[in-house]
Amino acid sequence: MDCFTRHGTERTPEIVFDFGRGIFSIRGESYPEDVATFYGPVMSSLKEFLSGNRTRSLTLEIELIYFNSSSAKVLMNLFLLLENAAGAENQITVNWYYQGDDETMREFGEEFSEDVRHINFHVLERNGAPPPQ
Amino acid sequence: MLADKYYQFKKSLDEQGVMFTYSGVVSETILFGLGDTVKQKMHVDEADSTTIKRVFSVFVEQVQNIIRYSAEKASGERKDGREMCSGVISVGRNQGQFFVVGGNLVHNRDLPRLRNRLEHLRSLDKDELKAYYKQKLREDSEETSKGASIGLIEIARRAAGPIMFDFKVVNDNYTFFCLKAFV
Repeated sequence: MDCFTRHGTERTPEIVFDFGRGIFSIRGESYPEDVATFYGPVMSSLKEFLSGNRTRSLTLEIELIYFNSSSAKVLMNLFLLLENAAGAENQITVNWYYQGDDETMREFGEEFSEDVRHINFHVLERNGAPPPQ
Repeated sequence: MLADKYYQFKKSLDEQGVMFTYSGVVSETILFGLGDTVKQKMHVDEADSTTIKRVFSVFVEQVQNIIRYSAEKASGERKDGREMCSGVISVGRNQGQFFVVGGNLVHNRDLPRLRNRLEHLRSLDKDELKAYYKQKLREDSEETSKGASIGLIEIARRAAGPIMFDFKVVNDNYTFFCLKAFV
């Protein structure tokens, strides 16, 4: 499996996990009917990637418009998983993007960044759509 | 009679500044449709994007709480095995402030715990709510709560003032629980 992909819907984010490049992105809205069903496979594939035995770097790009409290719990678990994996051998970066006028998403990014030490966590302002990959 | 009855009903809601009230069986499809309507209506009313997001967030948490925790369940099961829950949800605007009200039946045995939880949330200021939210996010979900505590904290965090709640005992088994937040 080189890539894990989920197309975005009106209430679930687009997810692209490029194993080869070590880039994982989550973009859009997140208030699925059932977070466990939606995020279960995502977390599994991330765990699988992190359990590999070679040195690696991982960049997680997050650009959410809205997420509900159940999704917040998933995000926290995701960051804790990455926090445990980060260290000398694993360079882990999180880029948390928010639209310039969206103070809620900026605050959420800042709050998550306060809870991690080993991840390079950047909270970045974005105006307009993301550039094409 | 028919028109008069429903006109009075609607007029009473209109006078309270209600954008809509939904009462009855709630599903995730209802949540999505009504949520989308809230955003569109607030956009038309030229509410700022931060307020729209706050109201939407409180609305989603209120409806998902009804879907997950209402003690009033339709008899029988859906094809996917999930139960259908009932409740009432209202979104409106009063003197310039938006509000979201949710109501549903709870089991009397769950009342003390729910009341304690809500009173605790009411006693916290913005910074304390933030700290409590972060603490709960790190904890494993309480076994029976399916994460409700975080949903309630999220509502309290997005609200402009302390959340309002009330209970009305219906019979020996059930109490009607109501939660209102101004945004």
